[in-house]
Amino acid sequence: MSTLKKTIFYDQHVAGGAKIVDFAGWQMPIQYASGIVAEHLTTRKQAGLFDVSHMGRFSINGPGALAFLQYALTNDASKLTPGMSQYTILANTTGGAIDDAYLYMTGKGEFILVVNAANKEKDWEHLQNVLQNFSDVKMADISNLMAMVSLQGPKSTEILRNIVQSGCLPHAGRNALSHVTVENTQIMVSQTGYTGEPVCYELFIPIEIAPKTWDLLCANGATPIGLGARDTLRLEAALPLYGHEYGCDTTGKEIPIFTCLLAQFGVKFTEQKGDFIGREPLWAQHNAAEAFKQKDYSSIDILPQQIRPFALLGKGIARDGCTVYNNDSPAGTVTSGTMAPYWVPFEQDGQARLSDETGKRAIGLAMIDSRLTSGDSIGIDIRGKKIDAIIVPSHLERNTEPFAIPRLTPSP
Amino acid sequence: MIPENLKYTQSHEWAAADSDGKIVTIGISDFAIEHLGDIVYLELPEVGEKVSKGSSFGIVESVKAASDLNSPVSGEVVEVNTALPDDLETLKSDAYKQGWMIKVATNDTDDYQALMDSSAYNEYLKTQED
Repeated sequence: MSTLKKTIFYDQHVAGGAKIVDFAGWQMPIQYASGIVAEHLTTRKQAGLFDVSHMGRFSINGPGALAFLQYALTNDASKLTPGMSQYTILANTTGGAIDDAYLYMTGKGEFILVVNAANKEKDWEHLQNVLQNFSDVKMADISNLMAMVSLQGPKSTEILRNIVQSGCLPHAGRNALSHVTVENTQIMVSQTGYTGEPVCYELFIPIEIAPKTWDLLCANGATPIGLGARDTLRLEAALPLYGHEYGCDTTGKEIPIFTCLLAQFGVKFTEQKGDFIGREPLWAQHNAAEAFKQKDYSSIDILPQQIRPFALLGKGIARDGCTVYNNDSPAGTVTSGTMAPYWVPFEQDGQARLSDETGKRAIGLAMIDSRLTSGDSIGIDIRGKKIDAIIVPSHLERNTEPFAIPRLTPSP
Repeated sequence: MIPENLKYTQSHEWAAADSDGKIVTIGISDFAIEHLGDIVYLELPEVGEKVSKGSSFGIVESVKAASDLNSPVSGEVVEVNTALPDDLETLKSDAYKQGWMIKVATNDTDDYQALMDSSAYNEYLKTQED
């Protein structure tokens, strides 16, 4: 007897030729018939449709909601206005991450927190414990009330416009929300994204019209994408994943939150924010990270390593757990690694575009000595051989709407 | 589907011995290729390297994971399909001919004879569906 859960789209995944795997207690598509490489490339040039209904969604409402969220999460929720969202983190008292999340403000005193599927129960328990010290706030698990899909890639806006009956898509710029009508039903649209695509949407769809909406999106040109390509896309975008870049490292040691460079956007120490869980250790981490930018490494003990994207120059694929070397000394560990495909870019009339030619590159994220930075050479141990690699600022140009253009690292 | 004139391992390599059984050509089966998903990297040994039955002679990697290629026989690598790592489409389209990986000179013909024939491999595949 399988106790694995299925999202509302399960039958559509199977009908679409999906290979189903167990993911965080859910039966999810790892890939469809065309495969991970084709799905990755389709997202970059057309539009990919991702079922993310397995993610946890909590509503947090009431006059006391803001005070609770300010204490339980790391970002400054007072900066939000209805129709806005922000990246945020559930920190523990020692400055490690319980989870990373997205907080949406849907109305005055009304919020939705979207958390990782694998951490949902843990997050719920943690937040319930914190909640005991707050009043006038109600938290509910609304994960089963609505489906959630993500539509990513250059054709996404056109596809969405075709199915929307009324209402406006969110205005340009990340973190905005709007409500539109599809199938005579209101759905909420955000644009946070987890693929690095400049054009990206998430749809919060009432469960009753979810399968129909999926079909409509597909009929208008969206291609279903599995978890396999979701991982290669987020890695190409150098975005962290809990369990790899947050949480504990491969030896079981807690990763300080500011080890992830993205954390600086999700942890705030403003006056309005006041005290919050983990504030003290996070402030020390923040100061260490800021000093590193001035080449001051006096507080390196607080933040010995940081996570940076790398490109492999030699042959092979670096996987998580591979040891990273600086000259001949161990300097860190690969946290995520894969071989990702890309469309070969070219320039036309001064604009970057994608050709019809494809390539592939071995890339990843590594947690390495904080003194190493973009442009530095590293070695990565792959099955006993030390392979040359280089730390890069990113693998994608993302301000090239509607396309994300690959930033290629030339071979030596 | 599965060529009848070849021998097979439980880890889905195929092997073909020449007429006197001294040179064995080795590759991987369509099942392995299908099961791995998109193959994005292949690492083969060099001519002259020793291989032993059941041990790794190379690596095949999909987007998700790396898998060992296990030698069906023991001996010395005498020829390598050096073009294959740069032409992984061939592996997918013609696994049993153009998609060969290495040729091994062996003295132990019993190793080869002990491998599964096509009908045994066919039966074995029925136990492998996930």
